Amino acid sequence: MGLLSIIRKIKRKEKEMRILMVGLDNSGKTTIVLKINGEDTSVISPTLGFNIKTITYQKYTLNIWDVGGQKTIRSYWRNYFEQTDGLVWVVDSSDLRRLDDCKLELDNLLKEERLSGATLLILANKQDIKGALTPEEIAKVLNLEAMDKSRHWQIVGCSAYTGEGLLEGFDWLVQDIASRIYMLD
Amino acid sequence: MEDETEKQKKHLAMVERLSKRPQSRPTNAESSAESTSSFLSRFSELKTSIDFQLHQSQSLSSDPPNLKLHFQNISQSISDLEKLVAQNSYLLPSYDVRTSLKTVSDLKLSLQNITNQLIPKTKFSFKNKPTKKDPKDTAIPQPKQLPQPSIPGTRLAARESPGFRNKVGEVLVAEFRGSEVGEFAVSDLDSCEVRIIGSVRALFVHRLKNSRVYVGPVTGSVLIEEAEDCVFVMASHQIRIHSARKSDFYLRVRSKPIIEDSNGVRFAPYCLSYRGIEEDLRGAGLDAESGNWENVDDFRWLRAVQSPNWSVLPESERVGIIDISNLKNGDEEI
Repeated sequence: MGLLSIIRKIKRKEKEMRILMVGLDNSGKTTIVLKINGEDTSVISPTLGFNIKTITYQKYTLNIWDVGGQKTIRSYWRNYFEQTDGLVWVVDSSDLRRLDDCKLELDNLLKEERLSGATLLILANKQDIKGALTPEEIAKVLNLEAMDKSRHWQIVGCSAYTGEGLLEGFDWLVQDIASRIYMLD
Repeated sequence: MEDETEKQKKHLAMVERLSKRPQSRPTNAESSAESTSSFLSRFSELKTSIDFQLHQSQSLSSDPPNLKLHFQNISQSISDLEKLVAQNSYLLPSYDVRTSLKTVSDLKLSLQNITNQLIPKTKFSFKNKPTKKDPKDTAIPQPKQLPQPSIPGTRLAARESPGFRNKVGEVLVAEFRGSEVGEFAVSDLDSCEVRIIGSVRALFVHRLKNSRVYVGPVTGSVLIEEAEDCVFVMASHQIRIHSARKSDFYLRVRSKPIIEDSNGVRFAPYCLSYRGIEEDLRGAGLDAESGNWENVDDFRWLRAVQSPNWSVLPESERVGIIDISNLKNGDEEI
């Protein structure tokens, strides 16, 4: 076996995916990323800027970009759109008042051409809080059914606090991206 | 031998480089000196005008409403001055930045002194509001049973979180002991006092004026949007403050509190007490003071110099321990 073929093989093996996590402030993006990575989630300050986490997930390497959601820095989201394979939109299901804000920002995001090919996972977070809307209710409020037919999307209820639902969501996301990108193996 | 000539060559090259430097230097120095001097003259101009305004205050002492306005103007001018310093902090020599900041803080101090001298401080107390109601009306242990008036506007969610909404001049009490509580909303209050005993998972505060909000530990996060002339005493894992003006926050937070689009907000450590609060705080992982109440991040001020939008509340102006255990009906005083 020649050196070149070995290198080729290694390269094909480290299957990388670029995941962009966005959503309104206080929705739990950073907590979700840390929870998936098995890190301590008890002290997390609101994100000023962004965090990048590289996680090995199944046989893939996920580069997760967790970008702060405060109003002031939402305009910088677009700096991270390039080459995004998966888009994770995080919703605070207990924040009933700002759902219209949430819908508006998501609609704007989905208009973005650079994200048009990205798989969309919507995480209806904070399901552990009594009074939170269910994923079905969130889907209705965000009018997800009206989305462009070409978009691969899924909504999953989760709790970054207990960890429930996170793996289910990411499993679907990674499988969907893999089936689009690595279909040929 | 070859080494020697090589060395000499290098040396010559260096000498040549050095000789060229002075030619390019003056122009740079000139332009930065120019901007420094233009900054300094603008700065001293503003300072003189503030000094003059401060001096004028005495003559207005017989006219309290105008005096208050006058002080607000001065305070605005001082914060403009502070902004000017910050904007120029990249260009200025560090000595000038230091002296300018010192001048600004001196001005603030003299404003505070003269304000204290001319406007007697109102002491903090639990005095009753004129709109006193029957105690049964004011003590509401079951907030979910509150009639929830619909707020005009485009609300997408079919239902609302439990909470206190649309009240003027009332004392609103909620007690959550041993009952599981999710999110709680406090919105559209004017001149009210809110007391929440026990802990909640998430707290949303929206559009409050001239109100005081005392809450036990929040195990998730607190989100505050639009508050003016308010006092908040709260403990939480995360606190976000948006669009707040002239309000004081007495906080215990596990992470850094943040502000956005706010100004005139001041911070101090948590100071709430009620029977059993220690237990609640322990249960929420908030029994230890993290010191984070003063590690405020201002998302509108990403610079090295202190943000002009918030400050530490001077110890002399802080309220003492606020005990809400016996105040359910709002007629006792501390």
